[in-house]
Amino acid sequence: MRMKVEGETKEIRVLMAKPGLDGHWRGAIVVTTALRNAGMEVIYVGNQTPQAIVEAAIQEDVDVVGLSILSSAHLKLIPEVTRRLHERGAEEIIVLAGGIIPREDVPLLKQAGVDEVFQPGSKLTSIVNYVKHRVIHKRSPSAI
Amino acid sequence: MQHKESEGKFETGSGIPVKVAYTPDDVRDLDYERDLALPGVPPYTRGVYPTMYRGRLWTIRRYSGYGTPEETNELYRHEYREGQTGFSIAFDTPTNSGLDSDDPRVGADVGIGGVPVCSLDDMEILFEGLPIEKVATSVTGKAFSHVQQAMYFAMAEKRGLELKELRGTTQADILTALGCMNYIDQIAPRHAIRLLADLVEWSSEVAPRWHPVSFDTYNARENGVNAYQELAILMADAIAYIEEERKRGRIPLEQYIRGFSFNMGSHNDFLEEIAKFRAARRMWYRLVKDRYGIDDARCHILRLHVQSSGITHTTQQPLNNLMRIAFQVLAAVLGGAQSVHANGYDEGLCLPTEQSMLLSIRTEQIVQHETNVINTADPLGGSYYLEWLTNELETRAWQYLKRIEEAGGLVEALESGWLQGEFRKAIIEHQKRLETVEVKVVGVNCFEMEEEPYQVRLFRPNPRAAEIQTEKLQKLRRKRDNQKVEEALRELREVTKQGENVMPAVMKGVGAYATMGEICNVWRDIYGTWSTPIGL
Repeated sequence: MRMKVEGETKEIRVLMAKPGLDGHWRGAIVVTTALRNAGMEVIYVGNQTPQAIVEAAIQEDVDVVGLSILSSAHLKLIPEVTRRLHERGAEEIIVLAGGIIPREDVPLLKQAGVDEVFQPGSKLTSIVNYVKHRVIHKRSPSAI
Repeated sequence: MQHKESEGKFETGSGIPVKVAYTPDDVRDLDYERDLALPGVPPYTRGVYPTMYRGRLWTIRRYSGYGTPEETNELYRHEYREGQTGFSIAFDTPTNSGLDSDDPRVGADVGIGGVPVCSLDDMEILFEGLPIEKVATSVTGKAFSHVQQAMYFAMAEKRGLELKELRGTTQADILTALGCMNYIDQIAPRHAIRLLADLVEWSSEVAPRWHPVSFDTYNARENGVNAYQELAILMADAIAYIEEERKRGRIPLEQYIRGFSFNMGSHNDFLEEIAKFRAARRMWYRLVKDRYGIDDARCHILRLHVQSSGITHTTQQPLNNLMRIAFQVLAAVLGGAQSVHANGYDEGLCLPTEQSMLLSIRTEQIVQHETNVINTADPLGGSYYLEWLTNELETRAWQYLKRIEEAGGLVEALESGWLQGEFRKAIIEHQKRLETVEVKVVGVNCFEMEEEPYQVRLFRPNPRAAEIQTEKLQKLRRKRDNQKVEEALRELREVTKQGENVMPAVMKGVGAYATMGEICNVWRDIYGTWSTPIGL
């Protein structure tokens, strides 16, 4: 089990990745920038296999993994990330997804352990607030 | 009586301020013969052919491919029966990255967003039963498209066709894969352009009717830059290829440039996009004629393929995208495009379905056969506003081109990450304007709805594509003459190192059924791999 300092003072750490080969990077760019502007530490690793994403997430000791995908491979690649996180005992890392993901696939992804899915057109402030809220809650569930 | 203007800024999509009305004063300096003239006459502002769409309608070219080569072959046969006169191969991302379907990193991406073509075998399957001598095909590749074209050519040769009879276009451009999107396992732009310039040289000798390169700013535009930046990047892209050949001086520049073609996006600012296409033709003419002193008229004309802009389509209320697509197609046509691809209205939700692609083709056919806009060339030419805007875009584009050249030209601007920085800035700025509703998007930041009003069918890619392709590759590697493959790859390594034109060796490798991945690995070994500096 990895230990984590409790409370709100520790900087929120996020790993942003694009699973597989999907080259569309606009969403990842805007979300990475917005989270950084909100004071978070964001490590952008670009296109990676699920295995490499999980390794990087553990090594970087992040609170959140953000996955941006517009290729239609989300049902294959995203559950593989959550499964591998689970296998590595890192299921406390919050997994968020965004991109071209049909609404009907959202329950499937949530069942697989994805915390939230952001559709195109989501406001950056709502993504930033969501991340803050979830991380703080996770670190100390009583503090809401 | 006083008429009040509504609040808000009036400017084009590129942020150019617009007046309430334009008059002859705004185009005072316009010289008809010098700046406009008739279609088919320099500077070609009004169109590249004298009769324009009366002579030949633009090609309705659907960019398509999915699943396996077998599945896509069925789709192409269907398209051919429906009367389509050109194919545009959408390769999947592994193929466009120069990777085989059985690479352990690519499984989930095989057969989605395009078709896998790992070897000549796949290319033969893809076009089985199709009379390629009667159609024009777009080999819509990326930075390794010389290998994809070689596969198409080898397939034609095996059928006994003459390469010099083949018609089509290869999108042998470095910009998209190396600057606009993240493709893994690429080689640096300076090396990629060397190989693609080899393709242009070689094609101009063996297949003079083929366009070996289509400079593509569609994806640059999707990365947030505006209309005049797109124009400048388009010119910088072509300049980079010309400069590559000038360094070598192997063939006359006229012969090298003759086969160039171009590919741009069509966005939402209807009149600005029309002005943009007109400005592109005039800029190209002036560049070739004035900067390079080339008098061959075949080098002066900018043949243009246009695609409706994916980034303008919304996930919300997806049927609204049909309207956006129709306006964008109309802008391309009023701007004089030679070939148009209309996106599927559902691409904000999934890969396009049969139904959405049919609607896209019908949209183009309605413009061709019902609106009468084809009756006369450049019907908006002479409008005070449009001519003023065409001038304005051109002026701003030359200025921005200067900035790209100060950054070292396109190749250097990609290697240093300068251009990617421009994209990043533009993307972030656009997002800001969306959130402050400075830019309105119907259904997203205005006229939103809680419940989705339209039911849309979704496309699901073949989940077994990677498995099927992997089995085929294993079989291929067993049954082909592996010694011949080794020899061909060795030769390719040698000619690459010696700086000779690689295409004859690529043809030999492809003909021996060497795979996409095996061939591209030769260059990865020599040059090393490179990933685009996105700057995040």
